[in-house]
Amino acid sequence: MVSLKSFVTSGKSTSDALAELAAAVDDSGITPDLVCVFYDCDHEDQPIFDFIRQRFPNAAFLGGTSCSGVMNEVGLGGMGSIGLLLIEDPDGDYGSAAVRLDADVADCAERALHAALEDADCAGELPELIWIYQTPGQEEAVIEGLRRVVGDRCPIIGGSSADNTVAGKWRQIGPDGPMNDGLVVGVVFSSGGIGFAFQGGYEPSGHNGVVTRVGYDVGDESGVITKARGRQIITIDGEPAATVYNRWIGGVLSEKLAEGGNILTDTTMYPLGIDAGKIEDVTHYVLIHPDQILEDGALSTFASIEEGTQLYCMRGDKTRLVERAGKVAAAAAAALPGGITNLAGGLIVYCAGCMLAVGDQMPKVSKAVSASFNDMPFVGCFTFGEQGFVLDRNAHGNLMISAIAFGR
Amino acid sequence: MEGSEELRETLVAMRREIDLLRVEATHANLLLNALDSVLCVDGDADPFAGVFSALLPVFEYSHAIVLIENDHAQGTLECAAASRDSLVGSIWKAGRTFSKVLAGRIITTLSSADSEEWPDGIDVGLSQSQPALYLPLRVRNRRGLLMLLRDCDSSGFDRTHVALARKFSLLASHAFAATRANQTEAESHRLKQLTEQLKASQAELTFRANHDQLTGLPNRSHIQELVDAILMRKQPGQQLALAFIDLDNFKQVNDFYGHAAGDALLKRVADRVRAEIRKTDLIGRISGDEFVFILDPFREQAEVSALIARIRDRLQQPFEIDGARIRVSASIGVAFFPTHGSDYETLRRNADTAMYQAKTTSKGSIGFFNQTLGKEAAEKISLEHSLRTALRNRDFRYALQAKVDIRDQRIVGFEALARWVDAQGRVHPPGKFLALASELGLLDGITNIVLDALIDDLPRLDACFGTDVSYSINISAAQAAKIAFMEQFVQRIAGTGRAGSFTLELTEEAFVAAGPFQSRIFPLLREVGVGVSIDDFGTGYSSLSILADITADELKVDRSLITSIHQRPRSQSILRAIESLSAALSMYVVAEGIETVEERDFLLNATSITCGQGYLFHKPQFVDELIRSQTPTMPMPASGERFSSAHPSSRSPQSSALSF
Repeated sequence: MVSLKSFVTSGKSTSDALAELAAAVDDSGITPDLVCVFYDCDHEDQPIFDFIRQRFPNAAFLGGTSCSGVMNEVGLGGMGSIGLLLIEDPDGDYGSAAVRLDADVADCAERALHAALEDADCAGELPELIWIYQTPGQEEAVIEGLRRVVGDRCPIIGGSSADNTVAGKWRQIGPDGPMNDGLVVGVVFSSGGIGFAFQGGYEPSGHNGVVTRVGYDVGDESGVITKARGRQIITIDGEPAATVYNRWIGGVLSEKLAEGGNILTDTTMYPLGIDAGKIEDVTHYVLIHPDQILEDGALSTFASIEEGTQLYCMRGDKTRLVERAGKVAAAAAAALPGGITNLAGGLIVYCAGCMLAVGDQMPKVSKAVSASFNDMPFVGCFTFGEQGFVLDRNAHGNLMISAIAFGR
Repeated sequence: MEGSEELRETLVAMRREIDLLRVEATHANLLLNALDSVLCVDGDADPFAGVFSALLPVFEYSHAIVLIENDHAQGTLECAAASRDSLVGSIWKAGRTFSKVLAGRIITTLSSADSEEWPDGIDVGLSQSQPALYLPLRVRNRRGLLMLLRDCDSSGFDRTHVALARKFSLLASHAFAATRANQTEAESHRLKQLTEQLKASQAELTFRANHDQLTGLPNRSHIQELVDAILMRKQPGQQLALAFIDLDNFKQVNDFYGHAAGDALLKRVADRVRAEIRKTDLIGRISGDEFVFILDPFREQAEVSALIARIRDRLQQPFEIDGARIRVSASIGVAFFPTHGSDYETLRRNADTAMYQAKTTSKGSIGFFNQTLGKEAAEKISLEHSLRTALRNRDFRYALQAKVDIRDQRIVGFEALARWVDAQGRVHPPGKFLALASELGLLDGITNIVLDALIDDLPRLDACFGTDVSYSINISAAQAAKIAFMEQFVQRIAGTGRAGSFTLELTEEAFVAAGPFQSRIFPLLREVGVGVSIDDFGTGYSSLSILADITADELKVDRSLITSIHQRPRSQSILRAIESLSAALSMYVVAEGIETVEERDFLLNATSITCGQGYLFHKPQFVDELIRSQTPTMPMPASGERFSSAHPSSRSPQSSALSF
């Protein structure tokens, strides 16, 4: 029998918040096998780590910073909040491991996965779900490393840790303590089954073009570039990428074209999309969020793109982003063995860019998720990148929403 | 609905459900086969041989091994059966993985995993690194497990296999129990019940996976399977007809009466068609309001025509739904096997093409596929490819056609007209590509290219014609309703600081459709100062009452009213009425399509219209050519009279929209 409990406390110093959490946890009567913790980046890491280790010494454990706090079934925690999700499953197996990401990111991810499986006492077994939380920037390489081990035979779901102002103050936390350049991997062998969903809330606007040049990522420590893939789009259809993109979105960036700079907020409603595959001839998209205009009119993004990729300009609106969270949660719950009646609770990864765009309507997002989860416990974090399983493939995207539903 | 979020969501949900149903149906079928294998074994014969062969197609394993707890040596298991006979009797250690499986867990391993339980000295071509799937079993009241192995170089088992293994494990354990020589009545009864339930559930699952839940008709994938099976059996000389039915204006039924009524209508449509076709014919629903039916056999095509006409007529009879009397029609296209295709997909596509042609000609009509249609379809695909490439390469330019003061031929404005210039330098008129570009959703991109180029050219045009000349760009009714596109478009015009020099030309249709244009875009145009022109007035809805609701700046009278106006008293009366109403509403009137001196003279002498456009004055020209033609050495192409550029003080005669 699987049971979940969530706790959110907000607006206090780290020690006060932890004292409040301690009281709530002690009254909960739950002995978790997996603990997920997400918190505003203004909190101190070490006391949070100590709290988790002392309270739950035998539980697998992972999490990290979340943009402007967290949410749960009670509502939006807001700035300064800390959220805990406790999962008790005596008949299941859970494990976690952490690694700092050095030059060979894929190898690091592979090692972390094997360590997490060892931690779960399930070495060599295919988990039901791999849950990851990581530093932003190298998500594709992380997924590549994990896929070396499991392929697309099990879902890889998670998020990229976030701070409040894109100032690089994001951290990850796992069984070895806090990090700012790492990856935490959790493996789940649930006795109640899981359901999951990964979707965006945007539609193509009609503009599209082909990426004709990218700023390459160096493949490994050999420095050899093996393919034209990177997080800087230099040209689209042979023209400076920022110029083309600005034209697609109606000149919103005109004032920044010359000087460059952060465009994260300006572009939240107009991300780029790449073709993730078709169902019945209708294209599905994985989203990519341009975050800066660089020198020479290049665009920096939160996900890698290959040369030759067809890029689509997408568009969204607040209402859709609010409703989408509830729909993703509902889809995850529906995918559970036994459907929503078997739901014990869940976990939501909601893009921080969407959160900033939705603004003061964010309480509606937590309400929508709560309604879809039948008021069962959940915790939601706000991230700078989302990973999930779409059209039979594990993928990294931006401005997406991932949901995991745990069955009883 | 294509491309919308709702469609995408519905498709994902449908695919998920159908995948689930198909998997469930497959599982149920497999389990029945495996159970039959177990139950049909006589006496003490090995029940596993049949089980192994039943499981092979689904799990695609290379080796299967059954291990049972060893009573004689604690902590070990003995091989009771295996696809390799030499393994039978081998002893295996009950390590960590086996202990979990014996406790009831299904486990699949990663391909690189090594098994600590593997016995020493096993040498039958097996490796510890082979991907494995472990299932718990209870055999003759003892715990055991079934191990399925795949070759090292194949992909491992996935979560679907785990789900299937869970079901099989439970049922197989019951089956093994029932085959014991001393099986009890209770066990036997329980197994019988279980098998019956499984059979019923399998039949239901198969039906649900293959049929549309609303109408009960075969769904898209099932109808394809059925037709392909029929085609496989066809002998040379035998025919078959595939008809594609598409309801006309079904969306309006949903919009007006609601989705419940729409669903009820689809059910009734299915019932009516079913009632008309013969027992040997087939019908399926392949998407929202699209059905296919298969007529097989028939002797001559006239027989097919008669049956389809009967169905078409039957569907035109009104439907009584929830007290409402709903009238619809259906457009039908037909393709014949083998003339128009030898497989389902080709026949369906060709019947669809014939249906589309029929619907375009007249809704509620019937079309038969022919080679001309096939050629047109191929050309359309080729044109579609060329258009997409052209848009990617930005191979679109614009030409300008002047609007002039017909009293002195001074230029008062220009209408920008899109042209596609292909890689060979051929200029394609809008009639060649506009409709398809609109259908493919490429029109916004083309319109943006034209606007970009026009904005870039403004300094040169200003130098030649002055800054008071206005420029018009055409916007389709569909574009006008797209908030995001229109907001961006207007912002870009506003960004030039010359919004007052631009006019958007929209047809009446854009104004008639209540909605986003009226509520959001029109006020925005007013706010930034972009002019609004009603284009082609007299060809669309032509409701004078529309004029009362719109505060447009300009009204362009369509060429159909202007052509030979001097000889057509009725057109003259209509023109006077339009002119009078426009004057009352302070809208500037432009006469389009003036091609003869007689037409111009009539307008000059019998009306107060002062602005005109047409080949009599100017044929569209690319900007370079237009500017060159304004130099003293270059003659004007159309009328032979050179323009003089007017700098009117008022903004009155602003020109058109990208009149494609």
